[in-house]
Order: sequence, then structure tokens, then C-alpha cells
Amino acid sequence: MQTRRDFIRKLGLSAAALPFVSNLSTFAAAEARNVRKQRLVVLFSPNGTVPWDFWPDEEGENFTLKRIMEPLNDFQDRLLVLKGVCDKVRGDGDNHMRGMGCLLTGIELYPGNIQGGSDTPAGWASGISIDQEIARFLQSREETRTRFGSLEFGVMVPDRADTWTRMSYLGPNKPVAPIDDPYQMFRRLYGQVQQREVLTGVLDVVREDLQKISRVISGADRQLLEEHAEFVRGMEQQLRSAKDVEATHVLPVLEPGIREENDSIPTITKMQMELLVNSFVNDFARVATFQITNSVGQPKMRWLGIDEGHHELSHEPNENKEAHEKLTKINTWYCEQLAFLVRRLAETPEPGGEGSLLDNTLIVWGNELGQGNSHTLDNIPFLMVGNGLNFRMGRSLVYPKVPHNRLLLALAHGFGHHLESFGNSGFCKDGVLTGLV
Amino acid sequence: MRIDFCRITRTAVAISTALLLFAVPQSPAAVLDEPQQPSGDTPLTARGQQIYQERCISCHGVNGQGTPQAPAPIFGDRSLADLADLITRTMPEGSPEDCVGDDAVAVAEWMQAAFYSPEAQARLNPPRLELTRLTVQQYRNAAADLGVEFRWRQAIDAERGLNAEYFAGRGLRRDKRVFQRQDPMVDFQFGAFSPDGEKIEEEAFAISWDGSVLARESGWYEFVVRTENAARLYVNGRSTPLIDAWVRSGADTEFRGSRYLLAGRLYPLRLEWFKFREPTASVQLYWKPPGGVDELLPARHLIPKNSPEVLVVETPFPPDDRSAGYERGISVSKEWDEAATGAAIEVADRVLAGLKDFLKLRDGEDSAKRMREFAGQFAERAFRRPLTEELRQRHVDEQFAAAKSPEDGLRRSLLVTLLSPRFLYREVEGLDDQYDRASRLSFAVVNSIPDAALREAAAAGQLQTEQQLREQAWRLVNDPRAKSRLLEFLRSWLNLERLQDLDKNDEHYPGFTPQLAADLRTSLELTLAEIVNSEQADFRSLLLADRTWMNRRMAEFYGVSWPESGSDFVPLSFEPERRAGVISHPLLLSGLAYMDTSSPIHRGVFLTRAVLGRGIKPPPVAVAPTAPELAPELTTRERVAVQTSPELCASCHRMINSAGFALENFDAVGRFRDRERDRAIDATGQYEQRNGQLVRFNGARELAGFLARSEETRRSFVRQLFHHQVQQPILAYGPETIQRLSDLLEQGDFNIRRLQVEIAVISALRGWSTKSEQTVADRSETR
Repeated sequence: MQTRRDFIRKLGLSAAALPFVSNLSTFAAAEARNVRKQRLVVLFSPNGTVPWDFWPDEEGENFTLKRIMEPLNDFQDRLLVLKGVCDKVRGDGDNHMRGMGCLLTGIELYPGNIQGGSDTPAGWASGISIDQEIARFLQSREETRTRFGSLEFGVMVPDRADTWTRMSYLGPNKPVAPIDDPYQMFRRLYGQVQQREVLTGVLDVVREDLQKISRVISGADRQLLEEHAEFVRGMEQQLRSAKDVEATHVLPVLEPGIREENDSIPTITKMQMELLVNSFVNDFARVATFQITNSVGQPKMRWLGIDEGHHELSHEPNENKEAHEKLTKINTWYCEQLAFLVRRLAETPEPGGEGSLLDNTLIVWGNELGQGNSHTLDNIPFLMVGNGLNFRMGRSLVYPKVPHNRLLLALAHGFGHHLESFGNSGFCKDGVLTGLV
Repeated sequence: MRIDFCRITRTAVAISTALLLFAVPQSPAAVLDEPQQPSGDTPLTARGQQIYQERCISCHGVNGQGTPQAPAPIFGDRSLADLADLITRTMPEGSPEDCVGDDAVAVAEWMQAAFYSPEAQARLNPPRLELTRLTVQQYRNAAADLGVEFRWRQAIDAERGLNAEYFAGRGLRRDKRVFQRQDPMVDFQFGAFSPDGEKIEEEAFAISWDGSVLARESGWYEFVVRTENAARLYVNGRSTPLIDAWVRSGADTEFRGSRYLLAGRLYPLRLEWFKFREPTASVQLYWKPPGGVDELLPARHLIPKNSPEVLVVETPFPPDDRSAGYERGISVSKEWDEAATGAAIEVADRVLAGLKDFLKLRDGEDSAKRMREFAGQFAERAFRRPLTEELRQRHVDEQFAAAKSPEDGLRRSLLVTLLSPRFLYREVEGLDDQYDRASRLSFAVVNSIPDAALREAAAAGQLQTEQQLREQAWRLVNDPRAKSRLLEFLRSWLNLERLQDLDKNDEHYPGFTPQLAADLRTSLELTLAEIVNSEQADFRSLLLADRTWMNRRMAEFYGVSWPESGSDFVPLSFEPERRAGVISHPLLLSGLAYMDTSSPIHRGVFLTRAVLGRGIKPPPVAVAPTAPELAPELTTRERVAVQTSPELCASCHRMINSAGFALENFDAVGRFRDRERDRAIDATGQYEQRNGQLVRFNGARELAGFLARSEETRRSFVRQLFHHQVQQPILAYGPETIQRLSDLLEQGDFNIRRLQVEIAVISALRGWSTKSEQTVADRSETR
């Protein structure tokens, strides 16, 4: 539900200053300069992976995809598998909390009042996350500035704000809530266009009414209404010219009436991914996060014939083959969603540029844990797809248990944002993760 | 005749343009609205006219409108004697001895009749009722009341505080509720303990506080929660918390959020809080009212009852015109049109977001049909009259027909309604029927659209007689919105908005902190509110009251013994032998003063202009006040007298200073003194009334006594209150209206509410209409 405050913020107080007509996307400006666009998507799925069905056996350019990654078969030459990258951040909070809160921030959680299944209670992360840092960097420069900078998508994120449900941070203690309602995301992206359409439709009625009343009034009073009618006419003209500009926008069509419930997860995921692709086409943002459920997420994938919740299954020991068969299916399903997004980006031409959206987009698939039953933060299943950052793709890499902060640094550097360290600087001593380019 | 009219009109335009140029810092409209006794054609005036034409006209113009040699237009409210005296001493320029004695009196008398006096000015520039749009305040009120009409209204009774529920454990779980009680405010330091050692363990417990918050004046309020634990605050809406500190994280212990609130209304408030394993627990709820400082949200603003969410428009608008001394919607601009459009979208958006609540759908009811009905009702309430078939077609049916979905249709209809001149302007069709009467009556009392009772009365033809209108006005005048509006008027009467950010020299006045300045403001507010809310609502009490509300800090600063155990505001007797009413309230005294010294000039201007209603033009030259150090041997009074002694200054300052001197017993922070620099204070003063009579007084009490008796005070109050309520020039309601209302105030036990009612009745009976404008035009042509 959109609150009044959200509304005003989205109108950006421009309600008075620059109403409805400005704030059109900035795609025209970027096109004019013909600079290559670069984009980043962070995709999150929870509860660790099934290592033996995830990690390829081989290193280097020749490797075979295991079951979980099979949906990406067509894109093997555009993948980069990163084994041995570990979340080394310790301190307050249990591993699910730190796995989530530190995944993109690389820095400790504050002490707080959220008690996990073990360890000490914690609060929010004590620093900005890499997606927001990169967005901030892009927004600070005219040639890469977009209307939103970053967009935070979610799928069935529980309606509670805590360390398990937030991975994106604007700064210390400033978690960003993902929008998991596609209709709300639609309003955020296209609400102004809709408002403009409605307004254009009603202003002529308003103007007629003003004229009709003016006719029975004389003198200075009439002048007041005539002036008013003049302003209404001015706004009508502005709206019409804005509409011409917008004709180039592609408005996605959403299936109506989808409820936010477990069984809608596949549909909502697709809707949100379409909105994501669309917002890239319209260049609303260069950075996006896409969070499927949350850390400790409990989707019941009944559409795969699995009735247990994901988190519950993830606690089963390795010996429980039946449970791990299900966990492999679940993670394969997440990978299918990734593959869907990859395919959509690959088949969508880059507006005003060369190639496809995928040629200019890097997707990083991550997780709060390496594996669910051990709750390890080692070997986070990091997989990258797409050619947004000039990384040499089509490889399976193995690192000697390096801190993931170095990966976060590499993402920033890939955008030309040459940070010396990110998050806890103690984990950045060896600099940017090597071997990517 | 016609040509003549045009010429006069052009002159009038020239004058009013000049007036606007002079309208800083306060408009001289006060002058225009105070007619004096008319003087007829006498041999003396004929002689005066002759002298004027021979010796004055070349510089001052035919009607005193000014010429390039002496561009300032001549008008004012000096008495005949005073004006003649001025002419004797100063005119003609360079040889004042040429026009003295009887000649000066004759010229003064003719000028008074021809153009100088307010009455003459009114004749030259006939005031008329103008078509106006809603002021910004009216727009916000109307939007809020459109929302209320479809929800419900919570009555405000005497109960204060919040409903508190205490729970064991960190969750607010019903089955873990230990007890319930009323807490006057939220201000708890539990330390390492629990609120109930037996039933609640100190490791984890939770509390919720529920009720409503009452806004003192319209504006942005900042809410502040201070706690080392976890809290969530909802103000005016449960969909999103205003403050969400449910996850405690790091060392933050102060959380803030802002809401725009409209005066005289209740807003639902809920604070949820819990402690979990932290070594200590505490929670405090503060607020920072507009222009105030952080203070514990006092019990007097908390009501232990729920209330519906209020539709508050937050879209910023450009400020309304105040050149006449009161807010009026007499002009439109691009910025205003854009703001009105933004506000319409905001309202439509919020109605659609809370649609279920607004529609009150019954089970199985067709929501599309209900939405259409709702759109019609919304338009009728917004337009303050039933919809004609044609209007229903255009504003409702066609909008739904053009839309893709019923929701879309409702949005279109709401926008058409909210952007329509029928909503945005006051009685725009000028039909002057009973619906227009209902609207004018309602705006005059509560500054908003008519409620259901008024609409029904208009529909039933029960707003025909004065008595019927009076009964409705009495009903409305007891509404909290009317009371807060009256307080809003008193703030403007006392020019409080110019007394913000009081700052005093720390060395000379230690303890005069921003907190104390905020206390003074609260003290005055409570003192005024007590008078306004009392049964008598006696106008004279404003000037004569001998008690002042004080909290402990204020009482200690002003040396009043504190009889209470607590520290919150209570009414106290405050130097009753030295002080009386608002004019000796410390807020005004310290506001109308410099950082170190009193300012008889500021106080005098306030007394003569705001209280007595005299028109005072801005100083002809900018003068920096003489610094006290440069004249260490002089008292403030002497210094001021010396500085304003040149004739250029003295012609106005004689009046200003001699009123302000009567408050010299009060220093820059409003504390009593009988000496200044080892010299005895001279607090004698005087005032020459418009009828030429001189009044003398010594000190604040005698001054206040005079003001409370003075007809000039009364007339000025009546005129200002009328403008505040009606937003049309009072002289347009006939030259006798001020006197009639002033007499009525005097004969009606000085009851201000009664005055509010009568003003509303006058306004309801006659307003802008297409007909009234015709009348003015006719009058001009036949003159």
C-alpha cells in the first residue's frame, strides 16, 4: 500500500515545483553521449545451496554445469562461477542474520535487540551496501544519472523489518525495504504517467467549467477566473507535450489481481522480472536488487511437489538424500528464475546502443549461507552472469577462501568507482578480487 | 458622469497601488476601515477647500494622492486638532507660518471630508465584496472535513492522557497482558527494573500507549521518541509508522519524524515499545510544535480515545495575500494552480488508498455502484450544494464512462471535483441562496465547508431568518475548530508570529533559554485558551486578567513562588498589583524588546496599531536605534525621547512613545523593575484619542484599564476579527457595521463568542454574488 508520505516523496515535492512534466526519464541525455551503459543486478535466494549439485568439478574455461545450474546451459560462455569466496564478517547476530546483513555491506551488524537462533542479539548493518554505493556513485555523475538510481525488487518478503529481511542499506542503520508487490512497483515506476493521463483527461472539463462560470461574472472577478483558466490551459499543454515524449516509453502490462501468497511466488517473480527488464529499457535505474523471500525464507514450493518449507528442509543433514533431492530441486528452481531473467535481458536490444541488455548488465546471484545445515558462511554460492563489467566470462574460478569484501570491491571497480576498501577494511587488505578480468 | 467615474477610479487605483507600496510591514488598511464622524459642508470647509486649492494642490494633488514633488498620498486617522497642528507646524514646506491657526483648522477640516479620513477614502475607493478562492488554510480544512464527513468524528472531552497496556515478554501479545491503566504522558525511566516487580520480569516487557493527539495550531510537528530500547510510533495512520525503531541497532536513542497537523483536530496516536535484554529501560515521547522546542508531549494534548485518521493535505502551497492585514484568496498564480493540482492528486490518492474505509461497503454490495454514489456525494460536499443533473453528468457519469475501471473513474471524478472552481472558490456561482449562506456561515466560524446539519438546514430552507442563522452559528461556535480558530485570531491580533526566536543577552539575563522562551509561548497560549474557553469568553479579560499560566521553570525565573509539587503549567497569580492581561505578559514584553533593553517604541507601536487600531505609516527614514552604551547617562525612556525628537519622527512618535512608556516598568525579559541604572522608572504615559480627548495613565495596570474601556480598542478588535472570519472588507458591509458590532460586544457582556456568531450571521446574510457586483457598478455610474 502506498502511503501519503511515499506519495509525496515520489512526487518529490515537485508537486509544486516541477509537477508531472519534468522527472521524465533521463534516457535522452545518456543516449546523446553514446556512453556504454553498465548495470548491476543482485539476485538473492536463501538458505544456502547443495554444494555437490552446484559447484562444477572443473576449474577454468572447460567445465560442466551441475544440476542446479543446468537451466543456464545456453549461457555457459557468459557465466563466472566463484568458489571459495567467503563472508568472513563476525560479531553480533547469528549466521543467517550476518549472512544477510553483511552480504552486500561487508561490515559488522550493530548490537541490538534481534535475537537469532544462536549467538548474541544484533541490529542493522553498520554500513552502506555495495548496490547503494554504486548507485550513489552513478547518481553523482550526470552521464550515468537515472530517475531512481537503484530499484529494490522483492518476492514474498515478509511484512516485517528485521535483519533477516533486509540486505540493501543506504548507510549505517538505514536498511532499504524491497518492494515485493508488483502493483506497487508499477505505481512507483509509472504512477506519474498514469496520473498525467488521468489529469490530461479531466483538465478540459475543468477549463470548460471555469469558462462557463466566467460568463456570468463581470469585471475584476471575471479576470481572476480567466487567469486561472489560462494556467489550466498552460498545464494542459505541458501535459500533452510530456505525453509525446512518453510515447517512446514501453509500459509493461501486468496480469491483474495476483495476490501476495506462497503459491503466487512463480507468477510474482516473473512479473517483477518483467518490470525490472522494463525499467532497464526505460533507463529508470542502473542498479537493482532482486530478493526472493528472505534470509531463513520458508517458501513451500508446492508447484514442484514439495510441501515442506525451504528453510526447514535446509537443516537436514547431508545423509538425508530425500531432503537434499528436494533442496536441489528448489535451488534449480531459483536458477530457472535467474535463467528467465538472463534470457529476457539477452533477447532485449539495448535501446540506443549496441547488442542486448545482457551485454551491458552483470547479474550476481548470492545467498546468505554456503550451505543450510552447517550454516557456514564459507563458499557462498556466488554466480555471475552477463557482460556488464568487462569480466572475462565463461569460467569456473576457485579461490583460497578469500573474504567477499574483495568481490564487493571488484564490483565497484567494474563501474569505474575505484574504492580502496569497502565494508570492514580489514578484509580488503589484499585489494580487489583478482582473476576476474 | 461616466468620464468622471473613470477618472476617480484611476485615482483610486493609484492610491491603492501606493498603499501596497506602503504595506510594509503592516498594511495601512486599518486606516481605511475606521470611519470618523463626517463633517458637513460649512463655511469653514469652503474656506479650507479654497486654501487647499491655492497652496497645497500643486504638490499634493486634487485628492491628496500625491504628485512627483510629494508622491506620498495623504490619508490617515489623526484627529482634526492633530492634523491642524501638523499643518501649522510643517506646511507649506519651507514657510509653515503661512498657514496657521484658523486657516490650518479649515484646511484640515476640508481635507478630512474630501480625502484624508478613512470615510473619505472609502468613498473614493469604494470597498466591495470580491470573488475569492479558498485560502490555503481553508483548502486544507475543507479537504480534512471532506474526509471526516465519510468517516466519523471523535468528541473532545476533558479526559487527558493515553491508554496504556503493559505486557510480559517482548511481544504485545493479548494473552501476556498484565495490566491496563491511563498514563498522563509517556515519560518513564525504569532503570534495571520492571514496572511491576511481581508480575513482569525485567528481562523483557512491552507497553503500548493508545489514544489521540490534539494539535494546538496548524503546522509541522516533530515527534521524538527517546529510548535505549525498541519503539514504533504511529501518528495519524496505521499503515506506516512515523517512527520505526523496532529493531534496536547500535547506540541511537533518539528517533524523530514529522507530521503536518491542522489545529483543533484529533489525530490517532499509538506508541509501541519493548525491552529485550538491554541492561536498562526507558521511554519518553516528546514533540516539537511549530516554532517551539522539544518538550515532553504534555498530557493536555493527549486524549485517551481513538479517533479516525484525518485527511491532511501536505502539498506545499504558496502563501496567501496578506497585504490587507488578513489572509485572502484574491489572486491566482501558476504556482498556486500547480499546488492545487498536486493537492488534488494527493487527496484522490489518499481517498483511493483508504477506499474501503470511505465507502463503508456492506457485504454483497456492488462496489462500482457505491463508488459512483460516493463520487456524487463527494462532489456535493465539496461544492457545498446539491449537484444539478448537468453537473452530475459531467463530474460523475462521464468520468466513470471514460475510465477503464471503477477506481479509475472515481479518481477522475475526484480530480474534476477538486480542481473545479466550484470547490476552489467561495460561492463562485454567486447565487446567494441558502446553500451559499450555509457555506459563508461555516467558513466564518470554522473556516471550512458546511457540515451535514448545515447542508440539511439549507436544503430544508431553514437558513431564512437571522435567528435561524444565529442558532446554527451558536452550534458551530462551540466546535473545537471554532475555538482553535479564535486562538489563531488572537495570535494574529497580538502579532505573535513576529515574536519568534526570542534571544536575550545571557550575561544580563541568565536563564532566558530557548526552553524558557517556549514556556512563555505556552503560558500565553494557555492563558488565552482559558479565557476563550470560559463560559463568559470576556473580551476585557484579555486585557485585565490577573492570572498567568506558568510552569515551574517560568515561575522560578520570574520569582513567583511555586506552590505545586509537579512542574507542569498551572494558573498563578502573577504580580496582580503591577500587571494586567496580555499587555504585561512576559512573552509580549520580552518579544517587544531588544536583547538587553526594553523597547518603548516596539511596545508603543503594538499598543497603538494592534490594540487601538491606529494606522501607522513606516518611518520616512531608516534610523538605527541609539545604542545604550552611547548614552550611558540616559534611561531608556530618555534615550528614546531624544532620538525621536526631530519633527520628522515626532509627528508619529509622540503617540507611539507615550503609549509604550507606560510599560517601562518591565525590562527586556518582562521582569518588573522600579529602577533603571539607579534612576527611578517613569511609567507615565498618555494617548490622544481620535475624538481629540487626552487620556493619561501611569504603569501597565492603568494602561490596561484604559484599553479595556476604550471604544477604539473594541472597534479595532471587531474590525480585525471580522476580517479574520470573513476575508472581505468590513466597510463593504456598510459604514455602520463596525459600530454596530462594537456596541453589540459592549452590550453582550463582552462575550467574544457572541461576537463571532454575529459576524458569521452578517457574513451569511450578505456575500459576494453576481448581483452584489452589479450593485457596486450601478452605484458608481449614478454618482
